[in-house]
Amino acid sequence: MAPEMTTNLVLTAPEHRVGADLDAWLSGSGGLGLRLALETPSGLISLMEAAGLRGLGGAGFPTFRKWAAAAAEPDPEKVVVCNGNEDEPGTFKDVFLLRETPHQVIEGALIAGLAIRARRVVLYVNPHARGAFDAVAKAVAQWQEHPLLAAVGAAVGGPLRLEAMRSPGLYIGGEETAVVSAVEGGFPFPRRKPPFPAASGVGGHPTVINNVETLATVSHIVRHGAAWYRGLGRNGAAGTKLFSLSGDVQRPGLYELPMGTPLSELIFVHGGGMLLGKEFKAVFTGGPSNTLLTRDELDVPMDFESVRARGSRLGTGAMIVVSEGTSIVRKVAEYVNFFAAGSCGQCPPCKTGSYQLAHLLQRIDTGLATRADLDAVEHLCDLLPGSGRCGLIDGAVTVVASSLQRFRSEYEGQLAGG
Amino acid sequence: MVNLTIDGRPASVPEGTTIVLAAATAGIALTTNVGCMGQGVCGACRALVRRTGEPEVRTALACETPVEDGMQVSFLDRVAPRRPHAYSETDLVDGWTAYERVLAVFPEAVRCRHCSGCDRACPKGLEVQKGVNLAASGDIAGAAAVFDLCVMCNLCVAACPEHIAPNHLGLFARRLAAAGTQRPADLIRRLHEITSGAMTIDADACTDKQP
Repeated sequence: MAPEMTTNLVLTAPEHRVGADLDAWLSGSGGLGLRLALETPSGLISLMEAAGLRGLGGAGFPTFRKWAAAAAEPDPEKVVVCNGNEDEPGTFKDVFLLRETPHQVIEGALIAGLAIRARRVVLYVNPHARGAFDAVAKAVAQWQEHPLLAAVGAAVGGPLRLEAMRSPGLYIGGEETAVVSAVEGGFPFPRRKPPFPAASGVGGHPTVINNVETLATVSHIVRHGAAWYRGLGRNGAAGTKLFSLSGDVQRPGLYELPMGTPLSELIFVHGGGMLLGKEFKAVFTGGPSNTLLTRDELDVPMDFESVRARGSRLGTGAMIVVSEGTSIVRKVAEYVNFFAAGSCGQCPPCKTGSYQLAHLLQRIDTGLATRADLDAVEHLCDLLPGSGRCGLIDGAVTVVASSLQRFRSEYEGQLAGG
Repeated sequence: MVNLTIDGRPASVPEGTTIVLAAATAGIALTTNVGCMGQGVCGACRALVRRTGEPEVRTALACETPVEDGMQVSFLDRVAPRRPHAYSETDLVDGWTAYERVLAVFPEAVRCRHCSGCDRACPKGLEVQKGVNLAASGDIAGAAAVFDLCVMCNLCVAACPEHIAPNHLGLFARRLAAAGTQRPADLIRRLHEITSGAMTIDADACTDKQP
């Protein structure tokens, strides 16, 4: 099977990569989804439910639930935020969509706005994602005078503000409640839930926050229908997924594949297999705050349910492949360091606990640690989960705990005195 | 007897024992995280503590925290400030320049993002963030008062995402306050605004605009 036969199916199809050129976008199939949505805005939420669209930023939360919750609120000043803060190590899908297909993303965000009757749509873009903000800002400017935007405004009962804003570009800035804080103009501090943003988000208004990839999918579902979208997936999963493949493979890159494609196919067919002379060892899934996948999981279909059934999570679809010879302890220490630095500071157990984990892992990797240090790591993995107001510390612990479970001998072999 | 877990090791000790003593009883080598053994003045025994039935994990000094049944304790290493804060005693005597010294030695102090993480981390219950903000706005004597009971455990250093090193800033403020007379904070603040250009003075305003 030639890989190009099954990649770049929808969102990354060559005909959609027109950049920030609204005329080019609308002269193709662009705009059709929005026009159809304008005809029957009340059916959009049930359409997303029928299609089985889920949050493709990592959580896999059914999109229609967020939309329905916000739509049910009486507040007229609802907000849609397109979350383009992507900052997870190994994840590089949203930057591609924002840079190459900004109008596809904006059209989806406008349809979401129609579905919940929002008066404000914000494209929230990581300023470090090269070329993304410029493309989005240019694309947003092109929409301002377009009659389609005015038509959406008329349909939602007032003018609709469409704007692009730079996110803080910090990892934590992608967390849903942190997005709310940042759009309000403050530091991206996560908040406790409930209230969920769909009930009380930006400025207290009901706010739907969807990932870039999720919103990019929306117009295609409106155009082609729920059955078409469901039919795109494999093994009972719906739609397609963008996979950011990196690490020790022949052809790292971004691959849009049917949801449910086996991990082995991504690595060995599309990715061209392992680098010459390297043996597959494990995959850190995006980003990278989930349970490691090992040789035993190579056959797992990459969809939310199947990966979860193996005790891990699909996450953002980032697959960081490491080969035999790579130190799992060192990789994990690097990632925990990333989380420690990214912790926002509000919750001392998250900030100090992640530093302590990173410190202990560094000690193990350097060969200085004793059995007591390894015990201390395990104890922290038991102590820390749930101690923060967002999931950052839980993710850091998951990658440590799962690596300990699956590569325990590596940790033990690194202890001083063997 | 009270049963608890310290860094993954079980400990069984009489009620009323502190965590540090429990650690010693459990055979944990007291090579680190220990200093004054119970007087609460050295700040070495930083720990994360989760009590039975509590979802929250709190920071504490192990020497002044009594053991509880089912308690989980993880000791925390000392996190050093990201860079040294060098100043000499000659910097300390002039109340007119104290504020400028604070800003020069602790430039991060003005970057406080108001997360209150330092307040939550402080095992002495000090209003650390308030102290930082006072120092950063020229109220050196106020900042010194906030940090009066600080034992330099460095938990706020680990907790601060902006690398302000609040306790070291506090110590500097205490030294400044002890060494010289601090001028009124509002006067110092206004002078700083003028010298830094944040406030412009129209020296001719009185003469030009008289009716």
